Amino acid sequence: MCVGLPARVVNMKDGKAVVDASGAKREISADLIENLEPGDYVMVHAGIAIAKITSDDEEETDELLEDLL
Amino acid sequence: MEEKGRVTLAHGAGGKQTSELIDRVFKEYFANPDLTGDDAAVLGLAGGRYAFSTDGFIVSPASFPGGNIGKLSICGTVNDLACMGAKPLYITCAFVIEEGFPMEELEQIAASMAVTAKEAGVRIVAGDTKVAGKGQVDGVFITTSGIGLIPEGVETSGSKAVPGDLVLVTGDIGRHGCTILLAREDFGIEADVTSDCAPLAGAVKAMLDVTDQIHVIRDATRGGVGTVLYEIAEQSEVGVSLDAEAVPVREDVKGVCGMLGLEPLYLACEGRLVVIVPEEHAQAVLAALREGKYTGSAAVIGRITDEMPGRVIMTTEIGAKTLLPPPRGELLPRIC
Amino acid sequence: MSGKENGKKENKAREIIENYDGPGLRIMEVCGTHTHEIFRLGIRQILPPQVELISGPGCPVCVTPADFIDEAVWLALEKGVTVCTFGDLVRVPGSKMSLAGARAEGGKVQIVYSPLDACQYAADHPEEEVVFLSVGFETTTPAACLSLQEADRQGITNYSVLTANKTMPRAYEALRGSADVFLYPGHVNAITGTALCKSLAEEGISGVVAGFTAKELLAALAIALKKYQEGKPFFVNAYPRVVSEEGSPGAMKLVDEWMEACDSEWRGLGLIPGSGLKIKKDPERYDARVRYGVPKMEGRSNPACRCGEVLQGKCLPTDCPIFGKACNPLHPVGACMVSGEGACSAYYQYALR
Repeated sequence: MCVGLPARVVNMKDGKAVVDASGAKREISADLIENLEPGDYVMVHAGIAIAKITSDDEEETDELLEDLL
Repeated sequence: MEEKGRVTLAHGAGGKQTSELIDRVFKEYFANPDLTGDDAAVLGLAGGRYAFSTDGFIVSPASFPGGNIGKLSICGTVNDLACMGAKPLYITCAFVIEEGFPMEELEQIAASMAVTAKEAGVRIVAGDTKVAGKGQVDGVFITTSGIGLIPEGVETSGSKAVPGDLVLVTGDIGRHGCTILLAREDFGIEADVTSDCAPLAGAVKAMLDVTDQIHVIRDATRGGVGTVLYEIAEQSEVGVSLDAEAVPVREDVKGVCGMLGLEPLYLACEGRLVVIVPEEHAQAVLAALREGKYTGSAAVIGRITDEMPGRVIMTTEIGAKTLLPPPRGELLPRIC
Repeated sequence: MSGKENGKKENKAREIIENYDGPGLRIMEVCGTHTHEIFRLGIRQILPPQVELISGPGCPVCVTPADFIDEAVWLALEKGVTVCTFGDLVRVPGSKMSLAGARAEGGKVQIVYSPLDACQYAADHPEEEVVFLSVGFETTTPAACLSLQEADRQGITNYSVLTANKTMPRAYEALRGSADVFLYPGHVNAITGTALCKSLAEEGISGVVAGFTAKELLAALAIALKKYQEGKPFFVNAYPRVVSEEGSPGAMKLVDEWMEACDSEWRGLGLIPGSGLKIKKDPERYDARVRYGVPKMEGRSNPACRCGEVLQGKCLPTDCPIFGKACNPLHPVGACMVSGEGACSAYYQYALR
């Protein structure tokens, strides 16, 4: 449905963010996310940040699994 | 537009200006004893088996990080010859140049061809130049043909892979395709990636010095390593078992592919060979490659099997098996 | 890095999946990117036989009917409009031709990564009329609306969109009974939040929001199996690093400003009332259908194609008479074969047959 790519914000300017995913950089729209700062991680889809993400690994999923077992 | 400094239709009309162009650009850079003013090169070839190949080059933009169409046109043909185990000897080139093409860029292209040819040990022995009207071609198109001598005892072919052989790739994959994608600036992505474009005759010689028992060498150009593996699987009627995690891909290439939803195995390379050797020679061949100028990141990426002939089966990051999707034409970035 | 530890957890999820000995069940991955990743990772190979994965309708390309392509082709060829599109749509067959075909006939088709790029293209080429093909679900629609907002802000007058945007809630209702558990599309939930999924669980429809990496997918599947064995309807958000309960209110507000619900034709599922979106604000300017007076197209799909049933989980791609024969990724007949994430394409490309 929607390819998403986690990326790190390296720069912010006028509602635009430059993000870095493993060395691939692109300017994206940060209009939908409030208070983004360099160093934050976002999920990118079709040139916009659709969510601020808590970290760049899947720790939370691991915790969920832990809770379940 | 300043006419001086650009290629005009008169440069292709066969008159004085054509000679000027040839003298100023091509003779200047390509000079060697076998390149004469006659209608054809005359070569003294010894007996034996020769590889002979031709290839056309169109690339937009004509110059890109890590090379230009000139370097590409020499590497492409040199590498095609090298894939047959041949030592490349002579090359010819034909240019179709768009009216208005900058003379300076043309000179850079010719200079790159000369440098690359020298490195690969080939002589440019004949050439042709045509100028086409504005818009009839995109910048410059180059066709090169080349001939090379195959050493005795060497016989490589896409049909010679046998179960048990190991599959090597001579370096990290997909950089050329990625570079061109970025250079076209269609998608606004930046990354510090340069083309892998390189002449590989030396690498092939280094491998043949280890053993002449190399079954397949193939240049993974357009279509990438994935396409080459499918070609070999079909030609040799074998299965290819690919270890997805062993395939060397630079992180930034992965990042670009991630953004655009592309598979690195299908990105073009211009300086990467897929090599298939009997298992007993694989480590020595790999060691020789890793000493090489362009092949330091060579890796074993899989094995030839007798399962599912014609198909490439991938062991994935979770250790499960899946089919590598067969190649399917134009690479289109996807959002879904 | 905690790679090793994560590896262990991954094994735990995997153990649960591989050792599952509970009752048989059908899990529908609603999202096409899930379908694609599940195939790419070979996850089907490790599922026990009684666990069936069904590929759902969550691929915008697959559910977009042929007449949408016909409209786009008409705009490109009859109106000389520059059509900007995601790469996904280029090869989708229309009644007569695909956009690739229109391009070969001289139509201007520009592939973009983002709707914002389409809008920028319009700004850079004021002499051209530019239309963006706006397909997608809740995840993608905000980007299209942002491009309209940008056009509005910059006073760009040569930019409009052709909408085929869809929303999931009504589709879930239409799919009721197709599966025992839904694997919810994580990036849709990133926008919409999880309220709907929770209320569906209260109505007896179980589901897990899943992420897209190997670990995330395995964890979501393991959770689905564990919970299913407990016998009660359930909902779990197994993608909490991206999906919050409230989603993205900003995105929903933006979409609400620019678009409104309409009935929508889903290839395969038919007309679902209220499941589409069309331009609400200044349609004369921003809705390409209104702006160019696009005639009503009567899209014709190949009658032998069973994409519709495939999308509803009623048959497998391999049950279709033209699958792998007349219809293959190089010459797709149905939309499910076109998109890399379409069920048929995934079956054709990845399935070990």
